[in-house]
Amino acid sequence: MDRRKMLALLGVSPALVAGTPSFASASPGPAPAAASSGSNDLVTVMNPGIATKYALRKPLAPRLHTLEGKKIYLVDTDWDGQTSGVLQEMQAWFAQRMPSVKIVYKMKRGMFTTDDPGLWKEIAASGGDGVIIGVAG
Amino acid sequence: MSRETVEIEQKYHIPTVALAGDNVVGFGLGPNFIYNTGMPTRFVGVPFPFSGQPRSVLAKYVAGKDMVSGKPFMQAVVDALTKPRTAKEKLSGPAPDAPPPEPRLLAPDTPDNLQRLFMQRNWTDYNPVILPTEEKVAAMLKGTSHRPDEVIKKAAGTFGTHRPFTVEKVAIIAVMAGAKPEYLPVLLALSSRVPYSDSTTSIAHMVVVNGPIRQKIGMNSGMGALGPDNEANSVIGRSMTLIHKIIQGYVEGVTGFASLSNPLRYDNLCFAEDEESLPEGWQPLHVQMGHKPTDNVVTIFTGWNFISSMSSIKPHYAPQMAMRDCMSALSGMASTLILDPSVVQLLGDAQGITTNAMLADWLAKNVEKTAGEYWGNSTVWTVLAPLARQGLKPYSDWLKLPDDALIKPFTSDKIHTVVAGGKSASVFFATDLRPDRGTSIDEWA
Repeated sequence: MDRRKMLALLGVSPALVAGTPSFASASPGPAPAAASSGSNDLVTVMNPGIATKYALRKPLAPRLHTLEGKKIYLVDTDWDGQTSGVLQEMQAWFAQRMPSVKIVYKMKRGMFTTDDPGLWKEIAASGGDGVIIGVAG
Repeated sequence: MSRETVEIEQKYHIPTVALAGDNVVGFGLGPNFIYNTGMPTRFVGVPFPFSGQPRSVLAKYVAGKDMVSGKPFMQAVVDALTKPRTAKEKLSGPAPDAPPPEPRLLAPDTPDNLQRLFMQRNWTDYNPVILPTEEKVAAMLKGTSHRPDEVIKKAAGTFGTHRPFTVEKVAIIAVMAGAKPEYLPVLLALSSRVPYSDSTTSIAHMVVVNGPIRQKIGMNSGMGALGPDNEANSVIGRSMTLIHKIIQGYVEGVTGFASLSNPLRYDNLCFAEDEESLPEGWQPLHVQMGHKPTDNVVTIFTGWNFISSMSSIKPHYAPQMAMRDCMSALSGMASTLILDPSVVQLLGDAQGITTNAMLADWLAKNVEKTAGEYWGNSTVWTVLAPLARQGLKPYSDWLKLPDDALIKPFTSDKIHTVVAGGKSASVFFATDLRPDRGTSIDEWA
């Protein structure tokens, strides 16, 4: 399509586009010093980096000798509304391959970033032996 | 999710395994373990994407390999709960090593080498920066009455929750971005809002300045307000990007995982509101948020989308109807309309909509989506479905509706307006950007 017709269709005057003057020379003040000078002179600058510390290490809980006969909680974070399918497939795997494992499915309260201390307390109080939590993406 | 596993393992001594996509595994075993949790959580990796996959694919994932160990997926889960702890996994107390120190001054080097160093350390937006010499930083610090060593905040984002950052660090960043000393109070106020929201869904931010400081520092609220045509708008917006990367420690693919990311992050859509063009009855943004008209306030918005009206308002189709059309494409959680002053004038003269509250009310009553579209948005689902399950109305009612039922997702308190532009066309942008409450700039002068 002819450029003039196309601009007219867009509601733009071709004359305006063709004749737009440059205002660059009217910019106020000098430009900042060029960042890359090519100079070999040494410069001392301040450090923007923020000092930090490593976190105190915390040990994992001792692991189980076996899952046979244990109560394992599957905790669903409901991330993206897509996590229950993965956990249900895992539940089906346990039912088929390790039927002595008692699986308890729980959906965490609140959105996936919200802590649910009541559920952790409930899992401990009910004799939960292990927790599988997910899925995060 | 590491936070939950730490609590379950440490407080209740129950072995736990976390399931995650491989991006989260990398973060969980890397920066989050080193700087935040201190516990080497056992992860099993689920292939990505699992969001949106049919059940048949999820079944294959569970029958397949763990993305962390390469073992069969379920074997990895069993092993994570039963394999004895390693020496590293039993460690408690101080970490055996320490992070490298951050001296106040960097070792002398050539300007080109320093530019490269700044890029390598993720301290830039990959455009050249002004090198922050002591003299330039000292001049910058004249823009505030606060002491250089004053700690602005201790919770500073991803690389540790206990590292303090100071007024001087923000002044260094201000120099790097090309700021003038008079911009510094705005940048200090912006930095006090760290951490900014991030998401794999590629969140963006918008920054709006209100109050007399807009004119004092030469911000643009008129012609081309949203473009790269004004020094203060551009530099303040760029500074926020550097604050995000340097102070918050955002590193794409390491501490953040925005899949496409968002071009608005180059300058964070920074502009000033044209308060002088508001007709009587219209409140500027900061007043909508409860601040006084004479307060200087910077507001940070968070969202994803930015839809242009594309053309000027036509007489046979009212402006609020065009806004409704655009907003029906948004998630329905929040919206901010950026209106050219001429649109505000049209709303009053031709439609009898003489306040921003009236406009918000009209839109809340007239923007509709189907329940299927609404719940089909994964962010809406993630944030609001838990509330629906807890019985919070109207979400609990909407969750029960058939997919084709129409709902009105916006309430008027979730619709905000900002006015800017050159009055050369009656145009607007409809966004899903949600404002915070606004931060005082005056406190940082």
